[in-house]
Amino acid sequence: MDGGILLKVDNVTKQFGYGLLGLRKFKALSSVSFELTSEPPKILVIIGETGSGKSTLLKLILRMLVPDGGTIIYRGRDIFRLDREGVKWYRREVQAVFQDPYESFNPIRRIDTYLYDSAKFLLNIGRREEAVSIIDEALRFVGLDLERIKGKSIKEFSGGELQRISIARAILSKPHLLLADEPVSMLDASLRVSVLNTFREIRDKLGSSIIYVTHDLATAYYIGDDIAVLYRGVLVERGPMDVVYSEPLHPYTKMLLNSILEPDIGARKRIKPVKLSSIEISEFLAPGCKFANRCPYAKPECGSREPPAIDIDKRTVLCWLYAK
Amino acid sequence: MASQYIHVTGSPILVAEDVDGGYTVPNRGIFIHAVDGVSLTLGSNEVLGIAGESGCGKSTLAKIIYGAVEPPLIVRRGKVLIDAGDRGFIDMLTGDREVVRKEIMWKTLSYIPQNSMNVLNPMKRVRDHFIETFKFHGIEISKKDVVSYIREVFNSVGLPIDAINAYPHQLSGGMRQRIVIALALMLKPRVVLADEPTTAVDVVTQLGILSFLKEWQRETRCSIVVISHDMGVHAYMDDRIAIMYAGNIVEYGDAEKVFTEPLHPYTRLLIESLIKKGERTIKKGILGSPPNLANPPPGCRFHPRCPYAMDVCRREQPPETRIGDNYRVRCWLYSYGKR
Repeated sequence: MDGGILLKVDNVTKQFGYGLLGLRKFKALSSVSFELTSEPPKILVIIGETGSGKSTLLKLILRMLVPDGGTIIYRGRDIFRLDREGVKWYRREVQAVFQDPYESFNPIRRIDTYLYDSAKFLLNIGRREEAVSIIDEALRFVGLDLERIKGKSIKEFSGGELQRISIARAILSKPHLLLADEPVSMLDASLRVSVLNTFREIRDKLGSSIIYVTHDLATAYYIGDDIAVLYRGVLVERGPMDVVYSEPLHPYTKMLLNSILEPDIGARKRIKPVKLSSIEISEFLAPGCKFANRCPYAKPECGSREPPAIDIDKRTVLCWLYAK
Repeated sequence: MASQYIHVTGSPILVAEDVDGGYTVPNRGIFIHAVDGVSLTLGSNEVLGIAGESGCGKSTLAKIIYGAVEPPLIVRRGKVLIDAGDRGFIDMLTGDREVVRKEIMWKTLSYIPQNSMNVLNPMKRVRDHFIETFKFHGIEISKKDVVSYIREVFNSVGLPIDAINAYPHQLSGGMRQRIVIALALMLKPRVVLADEPTTAVDVVTQLGILSFLKEWQRETRCSIVVISHDMGVHAYMDDRIAIMYAGNIVEYGDAEKVFTEPLHPYTRLLIESLIKKGERTIKKGILGSPPNLANPPPGCRFHPRCPYAMDVCRREQPPETRIGDNYRVRCWLYSYGKR
């Protein structure tokens, strides 16, 4: 492996059409680059609002979409140039957990059948008996066991249990990279923490790196080692969680941090009210910084020229404020 | 007609008395007991939060308070009294429907529903929704005044003015949500019932909507009932808070007290399990999951998950215990006079 780099997303751009017949294009992701190491395994949190491109980025890494520019390299191999064997290998290596556990599973099939099929498909296991111990091990990892779920359908589980089952499914093949798309946002507060702790255990005991996508900064801090902030398809700031969290540089990161509603009554006086604005496609098409028209520090050139990527204090920030 | 008005002492604006209701499943003999003997009082100029996990009965309670009781939802017991001005209080559940619809709904009590994206008529322009609401309530207003009203309110909720000529499907979910909020506040109601007003929006918009509602509440000195599962929303908004668990209000009191020194074991575990800004120490969740309301456990509904459960908790429902002024908790730990 080249220097412990597991995944390298390099200059990735993805365009979508809009308007009549989708002929006009806007960039849902523009020139996104970041790296993820496997030694030590890390949890990278990608944070952004609705429409920031975070799901598009995950779909690209999962090979569900093809980028319009740039490359994604996983363990030295371009994931869009894999042969058939390579694709199977990639599926064993990279797995995902999605937002809504009730939609991830087929409602009319028994949950254990589902796990058997996944194990057979991912690990080339021919017989059910061989899969039993692997499935049981994965389920025990998330605090369940095969006896308890045998023969049940999804309606017999709570959201938290079901989400843990879908994590168990994702770790059947002991992937080196696990992608999680808002896995706790559909769960009740009392069940969230236990699912979040499971992700930490996956990092510490299985040694998998995790890309965790969310819009909730409080959980992001709880779980993450590194953070990347997406705004309108641009990675505006990335770096170690502690540094970014304690001293955000980009004005957008500052605004996000202020907007967290803490479950702490003493915090309400510290929150500055924000003025509402609406998301418009023109923000994606803006030639300069996409945040310019909401930014309290915007200078005239911000709206017309794209900000450069500047490395300060272990992190990268895209903002004219820090350009020399 | 005068008989439907009721006199209530003190100066509340809305009183729910021993409300009990739920959903019936036809031909199956199943009753889902979603709201079990809930009492609440709302004073003027205050924000009351109703917190609880999904399926604990918060939205059902909101529907009953608003008088939107339609099968399969039935109310078996209780009253919801609302201040109808000089004439006294009117019961939302048994009062004359015409009076309630024309005089109370929107004028005194308005409702921001959870799926506000789906309540706008897809065949009508946004502008016409506003004009029609004025008309229905018998308010003579010229088109020019409607437009100037809309201009003012759209500006404060961050909507482009062009949106008034749009059809609902042309707008994003967040924009439709804000239009419904603008509609709900149009006739300057004295009570606003907001059922998860910010579920489908992201953090920055959420703070925007909530700070707008808060500012509006301070200016007009009205009251807001905020229903949400998100304790962050409650910490930001509430003056008083009611914690619901499986159809019961288990704790009710001053928000600051409930957040800092919760008494009920459920509230305590819930607040301990919340992740605060800048926190990383490993936290424990609450074991188990909320009960099925079609077949709730006997005794206290929280006992299967409660670390302090005693014998009495498994047998009998705990009574509501008053602790000081305006603080109630429903737990055997406190009605036995020990902690």
